[in-house]
Amino acid sequence: MPKYDVVVVGAGNAGMSAALQCQLAGKKTLLIEQHNLPGGAATSFVRGRFEIEPSLHELCDYGPDHNPGDTRRILEGYGVKLDWIACKDCFRSISTYRDGAPMDVTMPAGIDAFIDKMEEYVPGSREKMTELFDLFQEVLDGIAYITASKGNPDSKVLQTKYPNMLRTGAYSTQKVFDALKLPNRCQDIMQTYWSYLGVDMEHLAFIHYAAMVHKYISRGAYIPAHTSHQLSTAMVERFRELGGELWFNCRAEEFLFNGDKLCGVRTNLGDVECDYALANINPDIIYGKMVPQELIPEREKKLSAARNRIMGGRMFTAYFCCDATPEELGIEDYSIFMAGSTDSVKEYRNMMEGMDTNDYSIFLCYNVENPDFSPPGTCVCSFTTLCSPKDWNELKQEDYFKYKTGIAKKMLAQLKEKTGIDLSGHIEEMEVASPWTFARYLGVPEGAVYGYEARDWDGMMARMQMIGMDYPIKGLRPIGAAGPRSDGYSATITCGQLVAGNALRDLKAWSEGGNK
Amino acid sequence: MSELNVKVGLIGKFDMLKFKNMSKAREKAIQAAPAREISGVFPINENAKALHPDYLELVIDDIIDRGTAQAKTFVLRRPDGKPLPYFRAGQYISLKLPMDGSFVTRSYSLCCSPKEAPGGEYDITVRANPGGFVADRLLSEKKIGDTVIASGPQGFFYYEDLRDEKKVIGLAGGSGITPFLSMAYALRDGTEDFELTLLYGSRDEASILFKDQLDAIAASCPKFKVVHVLSEEEKEGYESGFITAELIQKYAPAGEKYSVFLCGPEAMYKFLKPEIAKLGLPERLFRRKLIDVTKTPWDCEGYPQELRGRSFQLTVRQGAQECVIPASADEPVLVAVERAGIKAPSRCRAGECGWCRSRLLEGTVFIPQENEMRRWADVHYGYIHPCCSFPTSDLLLEIPGEFF
Repeated sequence: MPKYDVVVVGAGNAGMSAALQCQLAGKKTLLIEQHNLPGGAATSFVRGRFEIEPSLHELCDYGPDHNPGDTRRILEGYGVKLDWIACKDCFRSISTYRDGAPMDVTMPAGIDAFIDKMEEYVPGSREKMTELFDLFQEVLDGIAYITASKGNPDSKVLQTKYPNMLRTGAYSTQKVFDALKLPNRCQDIMQTYWSYLGVDMEHLAFIHYAAMVHKYISRGAYIPAHTSHQLSTAMVERFRELGGELWFNCRAEEFLFNGDKLCGVRTNLGDVECDYALANINPDIIYGKMVPQELIPEREKKLSAARNRIMGGRMFTAYFCCDATPEELGIEDYSIFMAGSTDSVKEYRNMMEGMDTNDYSIFLCYNVENPDFSPPGTCVCSFTTLCSPKDWNELKQEDYFKYKTGIAKKMLAQLKEKTGIDLSGHIEEMEVASPWTFARYLGVPEGAVYGYEARDWDGMMARMQMIGMDYPIKGLRPIGAAGPRSDGYSATITCGQLVAGNALRDLKAWSEGGNK
Repeated sequence: MSELNVKVGLIGKFDMLKFKNMSKAREKAIQAAPAREISGVFPINENAKALHPDYLELVIDDIIDRGTAQAKTFVLRRPDGKPLPYFRAGQYISLKLPMDGSFVTRSYSLCCSPKEAPGGEYDITVRANPGGFVADRLLSEKKIGDTVIASGPQGFFYYEDLRDEKKVIGLAGGSGITPFLSMAYALRDGTEDFELTLLYGSRDEASILFKDQLDAIAASCPKFKVVHVLSEEEKEGYESGFITAELIQKYAPAGEKYSVFLCGPEAMYKFLKPEIAKLGLPERLFRRKLIDVTKTPWDCEGYPQELRGRSFQLTVRQGAQECVIPASADEPVLVAVERAGIKAPSRCRAGECGWCRSRLLEGTVFIPQENEMRRWADVHYGYIHPCCSFPTSDLLLEIPGEFF
């Protein structure tokens, strides 16, 4: 039986990151992936003469050379190199202000430019927006301090240096906006990003929101020049260059134990022996299907029940490859958020009530930021929304293709109505990915790429604070969007590194303790 | 850290304590929940698995001889008769066939109505193919009751109303009729809604495959029309000669946009390429089903002629296993791997599905332009689709595992 120090199961963003971290630390590491290509959601697919980006809108916290973000530091630390494109704008957002006026704003990247633009749309907002960005900065610095303290921050330091973070951190973003007396129209514009985290403003912890939004605006967003398959291929190639082994079409069936400690992984390519497994798999799947039931602690059953299987962000994405340029189609923006209202609570409720009431979508045109994304004279676009499981649980196979195409049609019509952009008559290739599709490729429950909803008591910071308590089975830790850092490319890349670090500490402690 | 100008006022009582107590609040919520068994089963995931199984085990339930058309239809069902994954008319399944100690894949379009799938039936039709290793053995050896391993339905040769024009001219040659027959059934059954005029090329009347079925659908369904084009026979009621741009224009809707769908043998593709070009259609209005990679790579542009007939050494790694086998420059790498009895993933054998994607660590291959459908990063980092890559040196190849 082949023997490794660490087996990483699943080459998603978190899995690739964890594998790199373990291999760099000198551990003999095997990365196994159930598909024949790496990346999980970070992949691409080909239709006709087009290569299509399936999931990444914008990589958060990469940043330019002179102002690198954590994601960049992590990837560069691993030695992962590829060509990136910096996005010029943050977003265009089309909706209705809460005062009933129509909203159509385009916000640039860069804090000063962003605040300037906000002042144009909402005169007199400069002072409050500046305060908000100062608060973002304090929150970020505070998080960095807590992370550096490895979960044992000095409360004196916290109280003197990061008092506003402490004051606001436990509250919802909405409450903090209100406390700051941020003008309503600013709030309406600033709420745009909520769907990236899949939690509405009443239930999204400010600390989580602040960390993401500040990073997007201050450093801008980045995209790989050749889809996220380029990112994942660069990551696994680097992993192999460092001596790591990677097996494709290798599916973990169950985890093997010696007593209460993990000792291997059973796969379709045979059993593999190891001291530690990092599973880029949703914990409900690991604990529900891959681990002997008698090893599952009571608390983890309670944790699963407390989450009540409420998953975040089941994806629906329609992809359109057009035989016309963005200019010819009248497309000027990379990403357009289109929501019926700026009330995120209502929008999220509508999504969760079903596709009939869901009129939320994000439209992307990859060629706007990346003119060479597809062959000359063409462009690739997509629509994304989040959806409830309800419409997809009972749907019959016979109705499935027509049903998902019907939703794509609605999205196209909505785009035309809101922006005048009409793709019809130009669609050369198309594909529609539903929660079924994401469930198929990623194995995530319900196709929920965001893991569990990071809301209320189960927010990102609370998970971070309890990283040592959750999932205590010896030698087996879950990683990924369901993990402590919540969802998103940067969050899962960070999560992989963070949890791999914990695993390495465990391994060290065990070896020092006489290989317990 | 920049100087902080903001002072957030109190939101509620004990704000700072609230921050500190986040983990306590979380633990309280966890402990308040019941210690319920974790099931790990979700309806959406079960649906996805039912629609896209790793593999299907199928039993040959019936074999229908197509007489002078020299073909047989195999009626396939699951051993337990349960529903089969639904499909879009025009899609294919890929059979995984054990042959003399090795496994080979062949793709066959489903030629029944999609409506048959929920009832548990798939039909495929195999035509005699002189020199065709797999087809001839399927026709002569397979009996009712035999089992075969198959992929789920896949492929992109189907009608999609957001993309294609409402009026479609279908061009079929020989056994390339099968996806169109499925489309015709779907039009008849009302599960598809477009207008298909099919120009179907055969040698002579006797060799027309599914003539009765096609004529019957055309007689009862106004959305479907079939025009038989005979290359070696002149007969009343038939077009004669080959399918040309002129013939297409004769049946195409005047002054209206239309899509052209093509499925036929390699020779037909070569003949029709300049004919289609004469139509001046934008690329989006021409769709073709990809066919198996060429058996004569030396006819392709860029093939290193001096290597024809050469044999190379191919080292194959799969998981922890490694073996060395011979590989001919005249055949795709996949054929060498299959011949060695290695269970290698593959499905379309045309470079399109990417199922066989493998990592080429050492050596070089020739890939016909027609079949070059790799992702950018795969080209950049040296991944190939062995189904349509011909060895041009000794190779070291890492292939993925298999699930059946």
